[in-house]
Parts: sequence; C-alpha cells; structure tokens
Amino acid sequence: MAKVQVLNVAVLDNPSPFGNPFQFEITFECMEDLPEDLEWKIIYVGSAESEEYDQVLDSVLVGPVPAGRHMFVFQADAPNTGLIPESDAVGVTVVLITCTYRGQEFIRIGYYVNNEYTDPELRENPPLKPDYSQLQRNILASNPRVTRFHINWEGLADKMEDSENVDPSPNISGMFPPSCIPGKMPHLGVMPDNSMDCISTSAM
Amino acid sequence: MLCKPIFSVDIHPDGTKFATGGQGEDSGKVMIWNMAPVLREEDEKNENIPKMLCQMDNHLACVNCVRWSNNGLYLASGGDDKLVMVWRRAAFIGPSTVFGSSSKLANVEQWRCVTILRNHTGDVMDVAWSPHDVWLASCSVDNTIVIWNARKFPEMVTTLRGHTGLVKGLTWDPVGKYIASQADDHSLKVWRTVDWQMEANITKPFSECGGTTHVLRLSWSPDGQYLVSAHAMNNSGPTAQIVERDGWKTNMDFVGHRKAVTVVKFNPKIFKKKQKNGSSPKPSCPYCCCAVGSKDRSLSVWLTSLKRPLVVIHDLFDKSIMDISWTLTGLGMLVCSMDGTVAYLDFSLDELGDPLNEEEKNSIHQNIYGKSLAITSTEAQLSTTIIENPEVLKYQQERQNSAQANSGPGGAAPESSAPKLNSVMNGESLEDIRKNLLKKQVETRTADGRRRITPLCIAQLDTGDFSPALFNSVPILPSGSSMSSQLTPQLSSDSSPGQASSMGLKPTHDPMLTSPPPNNTAKPLEDNNDGVKSSLLLTSASKIEPMKALDSRFTERSKATPGVTAAISSTAGLTPLDRPKDGVTAQKEAKTKEETSSDSEDKMAAINKNLTFGKRKPELLLDGGEVVEKRKKGRPRKDKMAASMAQPFTQPSKVVAPPAPVAVLKLPTPSTQKAFSLQVSMEPSVFLEVENEVSMVAGSKLSQLRCSRDGRDWNTLLPSSVVVAAGSSDILAVACEDRMLSVFSSCGRRLLPAIQLGTPASALHCSAHYVMVLTAGATLSVWDVQKQKALVKNESLLTILSGADTTVSQSLLTQQGVPVIGLSNGKSYCFSSSLETWTLIADKSDSLVQCADFRSCLPSHDTPASSGPLAVMQGRNLNNIKCNKETQEYRYWLLIYARFLVNEGSEYRLRELCKELLGPVHKSAATSWEPTTLGLRKRELLREVLPVIGENLRFQRLFTEYQDQLELLRNK
Repeated sequence: MAKVQVLNVAVLDNPSPFGNPFQFEITFECMEDLPEDLEWKIIYVGSAESEEYDQVLDSVLVGPVPAGRHMFVFQADAPNTGLIPESDAVGVTVVLITCTYRGQEFIRIGYYVNNEYTDPELRENPPLKPDYSQLQRNILASNPRVTRFHINWEGLADKMEDSENVDPSPNISGMFPPSCIPGKMPHLGVMPDNSMDCISTSAM
Repeated sequence: MLCKPIFSVDIHPDGTKFATGGQGEDSGKVMIWNMAPVLREEDEKNENIPKMLCQMDNHLACVNCVRWSNNGLYLASGGDDKLVMVWRRAAFIGPSTVFGSSSKLANVEQWRCVTILRNHTGDVMDVAWSPHDVWLASCSVDNTIVIWNARKFPEMVTTLRGHTGLVKGLTWDPVGKYIASQADDHSLKVWRTVDWQMEANITKPFSECGGTTHVLRLSWSPDGQYLVSAHAMNNSGPTAQIVERDGWKTNMDFVGHRKAVTVVKFNPKIFKKKQKNGSSPKPSCPYCCCAVGSKDRSLSVWLTSLKRPLVVIHDLFDKSIMDISWTLTGLGMLVCSMDGTVAYLDFSLDELGDPLNEEEKNSIHQNIYGKSLAITSTEAQLSTTIIENPEVLKYQQERQNSAQANSGPGGAAPESSAPKLNSVMNGESLEDIRKNLLKKQVETRTADGRRRITPLCIAQLDTGDFSPALFNSVPILPSGSSMSSQLTPQLSSDSSPGQASSMGLKPTHDPMLTSPPPNNTAKPLEDNNDGVKSSLLLTSASKIEPMKALDSRFTERSKATPGVTAAISSTAGLTPLDRPKDGVTAQKEAKTKEETSSDSEDKMAAINKNLTFGKRKPELLLDGGEVVEKRKKGRPRKDKMAASMAQPFTQPSKVVAPPAPVAVLKLPTPSTQKAFSLQVSMEPSVFLEVENEVSMVAGSKLSQLRCSRDGRDWNTLLPSSVVVAAGSSDILAVACEDRMLSVFSSCGRRLLPAIQLGTPASALHCSAHYVMVLTAGATLSVWDVQKQKALVKNESLLTILSGADTTVSQSLLTQQGVPVIGLSNGKSYCFSSSLETWTLIADKSDSLVQCADFRSCLPSHDTPASSGPLAVMQGRNLNNIKCNKETQEYRYWLLIYARFLVNEGSEYRLRELCKELLGPVHKSAATSWEPTTLGLRKRELLREVLPVIGENLRFQRLFTEYQDQLELLRNK
C-alpha cells in the first residue's frame, strides 16, 4: 500500500492576479519513515491541445519524512507567459501537483484553473494579445481530481526479494516489458504485478 | 452484473457492525458497515443512522478475507497484494469530512492500519485469529501458512510448510491445540500449536477435487469435536467432509450441494433442544449448527442432531457464495457472494434450539478436554459480581489497566507512546501554524541547487486523532460493495427489490452511499457555491471541447515515469464543466476505456499468475524447506574448518595454533571478531573490551584485553586472538584461538594458570566465582576459581545430545555454579556435581508440558526481561527449582504457578498453595511446617501471591480469607 497518503491540499491566495505565485498547503501522512525525499512538482498546463506547453513551475524535495502527519506550503512562481499560446491565455486550463518517490509518481492532484479579466470591459472585448497584468487566476479549489498510482515503495530491497524468488533462467528477465528498461530511472516500479494501479476519484 | 465481488464478510463480536472485503475500484476494499440498519427496518429508513461506517482502500489488490479479532479491537485483512493488514479504530473524533467530497461520504468511524504483515509471496487467501488472539494465521497461494505473534506484530512465530498447492482456508481448533488448513493440493492438514508440526494429513476425501474454488473456508465446531472441510468429493458428488477430532476419521459428510462447497461456518453456539411447555424435560444431547455455502449459489444449514439439513436456500445469489459469518448470539448470519451482495438471515430459538450459555459451554469443554483454551473467562457473568474487598478492586483495576496496555497488537508498538498532538504543536493551534507555515518552514538547497523543504510534523502516528479518511479517497461506491438484504430465509421471497434498494445498501439507488451518482440530476446543496464558480468557468462555451482533453491530464502519469500504462480515471462524478453537454458521452467513453484497461489488467494478472506458478514448481520439487536446511548446516561446517585450521586457505591473519587433536567437533564455535566489548556486570559495572591483533611482536600478533571496573581500567596482552570472553562481578575469563583459557580477577590478577582446552571453546560463562566452558568437542567443564577446584571435569554432552540433529541452543551458569544446558529439542539439563550426572530439568516435548497451558500465564513482557536464568528454559516443576537452589527462581515460578491456578480457576489447588505458604496460624508442636523455603519466608511469598489471586474476582473470598489471616499473624 502507499506509504504516503495526501490528506488535504489547501489552495492559498486564491483567486489572485495571474502573476502571483501559486501556493498550495499540502498535508500528508506517512506510514513509515521514508529513507528518501519526496519530490513534489507543480505543472501548469499551458494549452489543452498539447503537452508541449506544459510548464513545470517548480519542483521541490520534501524531506526528511518520518512517520507521521506533515504539512508544508509549496510555492511556485506564476507560469512564464511567453510559453503560453496566446489563444489559450484566457479561459480554463489545469494545474497539476504531482508527487514522486524514488522517481515514481504515485499521486497526481489536478485543479481546473480559470483565467479571466476582472474588468467587464476587457471581458467583453478581450485584447488580441492577452494582457496578463489584468488577468485573474481562479483555481477551482473545491474540486480537486486525485489520481493515485501504485508504485514500488521499497526500492532495491523489494527488488532483491523479488529476484530471489525468480527462477534464475535468463528468459525470466524477458518478463520486464522491454519498453520499461530504458530511461534514466531504475526499473524498480515495473515489476509486472505492480506496473499499473490507480485509484482515481473525483468529487463534487 | 456490475457489482464487484465481495469475498469475505465478518460480523464484529459485539454484533453492532460487520466488515466486508473484496474488489474495489482498482484496489482491494475493506468496508465496515453498521449492523443496525440490516437488523431493523426503522433503522434502515432513518437517515440519521449511518449504514457505512468506514471504508479502507489501502489494499492494492482484491481483499480475500476480513476477520475481527476475538476481542473486537482489531480487524485483519488479507489480499491479493500479498499483505495482511491489521486495523484498529482510532479514537473517535466524529465523522470526518473528506476533503473535496460531500460530507455524507465521510467515514463515521476511523479505522487505521496499525500493522502491515509482509511475508507471503503470493495472494493471501484467508486469515484467522487464534482463540484469545494469541496468534494470527494467514495462508496464501505461496503454499504456506504464516503464524504471526498477535501480541507483538509484526513478529512471526513460524511458517507452516507442507502444502504443495494454494492454501485457501484456515481454522483454529477452539481448544487452541490445533490449526487446520485446506489447500488445492487435495489435502486438509492439521497442525499442532505446541510445536507447529503436522498432526494429520487428510487426503482421501479430496483426491477427486479439482482446484476450482476461489476459497476453501473450513470450520471447526465450537465443541472442538468436528472439523468440517470445504470442497470434498464423495462418489463424484461435492460434499463438505466431516473430520472427527478423535483419530481424524472421515466417515461422514454433508451431501447435497450441486457444486463445490466454498465455505463452511459453524455457529459459535452449542445448542440444546428447546424444552417445549408440557413435555417432560428429558435431557437431550447438545448439538452444533453449521452453515455450508457453495458455488451452486445455495446455502444449507445443518444441525448435528439432524440427518437432513435444517434449511436449504437455493439461488440465494447470482454467483458463488464466498463467506459466511454468524453473529455471536448464534441466531443471525451474513452471507456474501461473488455477485457483490450480502444477505442477512436470522433464525429463531424454535428453529435452532436453546443456545448454551458460556458456563455450560465451558463445562462441556471441561468434560471433554479438562482445561482448554476455549474456556472463556466468564467475565460477562463476573462483571456483575459485587467486589466485596477494596483490595480486590485495586488488583482488578490494575489488571484491567495492564490488559489495556498490553492487549494485542499496536499496544506494544512504539508509536503508542508518541506524544499527543498538542505537545507536538507546542500549544499552538493548527490555525496559528497554518498562518505562518510558509515563513516558518525550513527550506534549504541541496548540493545540486534544488529546493528542499522540511515538512512540519503536525502529528505523530497513533496519536489517536488521525483519520484514515484519505484526501478525496471516498470514491464512487461503485458496484463494488453493494449489498442487498434478504431477511429470514422464510421471508426470502418477500425481499422485493424495492425493499433491497430502500435498504440503501445498493449504491446506485442511494445517495447516502454513493458519491455523486452519475445519473443524479439533483445536485447536493453544498455544491451551490461551486455552481457559481463553475458557471463562471463556463462563460466561454467554446472551452468545453478542450476540457475533455484537459480531463485526461488529471490521470495521465507524467512521462518521466517508466513502466506506466494508462491510469484509469473514474467516470462517475463528472465535473460541472463537462456535465452539461458531454457528460453522458464522456462517461461512456471513459467506461469503455475503463473496461478495456481492466481487461488488459486481467490478462496481465493471468500472465503473472502463470509466471508465479512456473516459479513455484521447481521449489515444489525441492521442497523449499530443504534448501534452508542446507544453508543452516553449512555454517557449522565452515566453523569447523576455521577451527581445525589445517587447510591452507584459512585466513592468513590467523595465528596458527598447535594442531588440534582430531576430534569430532559437535558444537559451533564463535568466529573471531576484530574487536568487541561487553558489559559483564552491572553492579559494580564492569566492562570488557577485546581488540584482536593490535600489534605485532616478533612475528606473532598480540591481542589486547581491556577491562574497566567502576571507572578504573586495567589491560593485558594475550598472544592469540580472543574468541570468547565472559565475566562476572568477581572474575573474567577469555578463551583464545589457541585454545587457551585465561581467568583473571576483576582487577586483572591471573587467578588460574592458563588452561589448555582440548578443543576450541564454544561457549564461556562466568557467574560469581565460577567459570564454565563448553568446548566444540561437546564437553563441559566448571571450575570454582575461589577454591581452585574443578566442579565438573570434561563431562561429555554426548549423553544428552541424543540424535544427530540436537544441538545446544543455550547454556548458562547459575550463581551457585550449576551449569545448565538447553538443547534444540526443547530439553534442558543441568549437571549435578553431587550426583555427578545430568539431570533433566525441563522438557518441552514432555506430554505434561504440552497439556499444561501455563505458558499462556507467562506475563509476556516479563519473559524476555526476566532475570531468572531458568525463565528462559522451560522450567516445569517447583521441585526442580528447589534442587537447583535458586531462590529467585523459586519465587518466580511460584508466582507463575499461582497465576496459572488463578487463570485455571482451580480454587482447591490455590487453597492448598495458600495453606502451605501460610502455615498454621497457631503454633503447635505437632506441625512439621517449615516457615521458610530456600531462605524465603513463606508468608512473604504468600503476600506476593495474594495480589495475583485478587485479579480473579472468583477468588475474592479466598483472597480476603488469607489476607485477613496474614494481617492477624503480623499483628501477633
């Protein structure tokens, strides 16, 4: 089971001007002392059309994490407006908070974000080139979308344990989907029995 | 059928709630339900009475079994994720609202996982608490059964190996002597709890069985006389085999089901025939009642007094029955099925008979087994007993306190002593903390320049105010855990669908249990606020299309993570954004997506299973245990090599000792460490430090022995590496690689000339002024250093090392210089120098010890810490202790004995003990009563025994009687 459970995310400074930093107060609970840090990221989706406009606003390491309930505020600068397609500046998009452990993402919390002009004049007749100074960012804080992924929390120890149970015949290694091996991450999370799992919920 | 299967159901011992386990949305699911709405229609209709109390989706895969502990404090669950989780209810903090979801979905009760038991390498199929919650057993498709120490999770007691197929069911003997398991290897095995060896292997009734059932939940009758198996075959018809305790005979079975029996569950009560008014009250034989569930979707209920079933209910479900649970009253029963529903049945006393009360049940046990674990302390009855003596009250309270402190798992967990929430917060309120969190939190940069935040710990685990209510984790109650309710079997036809849905346990119809139902047009009021916002969001209608694209972003794992297949987004609970137009289509889309991916997941799982089976086979041929055995044997061999040191490939640094005489080295020798230290005495405090090969003089390496006594040091050099060292407050002894034994006073004076041992030392002990050496050649010597005399001279252990496998598991030396040897076969010997012979002081396998359950009387926290050396051996008889001249031991065992008698409820024997300790109140010349034993005043001992007696209310009179007499004598 997941060693880290996110208990709450409070969206601070919301709504706020577009240029203000994002602030999320995250409360999570950890079952056991974690030998390694958690890595949290805030990803701003610049355009629904393509992931290439995604911006990682910031990533922080959080640690050490002993067993217990913990809290921190994750603050990240507003997105770089230069990387947002002009047509997508106003309207609804998404901001994501992800957390990874040992390079494996185990939770993804998404919020809808609405960017709007506060001035009714501008709202009626939005300028062709978005005026970010006039835009207000409103995060739909009441409706987080949470997706959980099953990962391998144990890291190497688990892997060794598993490999002990594996028949040493070479064809067993073919068990790993070949696509999983490349990449900078150790293929810890890819034992077939836990390669995929998620709980996704939404609430209103 | 949309419903997800429910694999297990269990009613809480107090009858107020029950747990179900099964498949959830992409995880295993454990749910706790309120019993009241199931039992009473008015409670069901009352919206203020919650139906679901808590749901836990921590299991990563399907939950196959949920079981409450007998004391009701814990819930154990086992699942396909190979884990057993133990849950405990957190202190009640009221229903917690789950962040981002409507408050109605909150968990009413907070259950949190206190322990995760990891050992199985395959799906856990069944879990079972032993009588009195001493052990928890779990069985798995890895062919093993693991016994866990339920008093000290996650400690493992043992692994039972022997099954060659998936183990799918477990049941404890109510008497506590056995545990039985049934597996796909066509066998039912009975294991003894005393040595965890196999008692019986029953194969005949199962030879025709195919491994077609998901579970094989067998059950033991409450009187302990019968064990009833799940799926067995008789004349190619499916049966439930009855196995008699007496000789494990298999002459009878329950016949009639058309498909394999998946679950058998005995009613916890023993019944006797209901006395009809007017009929002559002739004594009838008590009988048991047993429910049998099958893959044929029907349920049968049997009384052992009837040849035919009491009732058979056909087509109770759409799919196989998976589990059955009786209420403790014996009159109600929950049955769950693969089809995702649970049925409740209740019986009347007219149908089943009069349940025997605990006293009667105990007396049946007493008659059959004498004293057994199944005999419940009849606290229920005793709780109404008036406490007549204030002293007794005190001991009762103490006992309760300590019981609370020690009861079961978690109690011993270190977190339990964790400070309360407010102490962590230094009196600051959570609000204060939150206001300044950003400023206060510690942020650093790592070496590679990355931000690193140290999170603020706001609570430690198990402060009691934790909620397992996960962030947004009460997802849609999909089909997964729905229940329909059917009332009594007679009424089963009456249970119209309307009623079932009004029960509110069918989620699709009930807003109470489901999170926003997809087809629900009426929005909960709370959403109105969001409604405003969402209407804001919807101002640009053109954005709706991209929203769908955005939606996928919520669930797609970041690209950086390898090995991730698509994550499934939940479909219900569409956001206000996509509801207006695309709601329905999106839902459909998502659903098909979900189906396909779960399909592929299934395939994946199937492949995995095949792989694991493949893996298992070779192990099966090797018979697993043997491999381990070999490894164990390998060790002493290595030691032997090192010890004889004739081989050229021994470590070059080792000093070559004079060639050891060729001797069979029976006992392992400790390996030489570079340096080590030990404390040999507390009062005065004496530390011993050994550093081997510190310097080289004329080609030979010297080792240093340093000793510090009350802060004063001395040290000496030895020509060979020190292998073992020991000491007492008076003397120190070291044995070196060259087989020299040196004995020093605690101030560093050599007390004996160096003693040349025949073979390397295996163990060395000092106590007072005695030194004991156990050599690798299995000989024992004890010297009295003060008198410069040998007490035991090269006595061979061969006389007691009977059998090839027996080894010395423990050795020690008492303060009186009596050597005690504990063997791996459970026997303990001491060498009596006056008798010049080995005397047996304890024998684990002694049949008397097996029967005696005094072990359960050992205060668990005392045993490991006990200072008495014999406490670690299995002492049996007070007389043995007497002959060992151990006064502290005697006292210890006397108290154990008294506790045993108190627990056993044997007033007669207790009285005799008290009488012996008290002696005659009035002096008379005729008595031969000795006021002391082993130098202990018997009346002082009685004073210590009395509080133990006071713990059992049953003996309050006895307590008062002797308390008064002691007072009387003291005043004299």
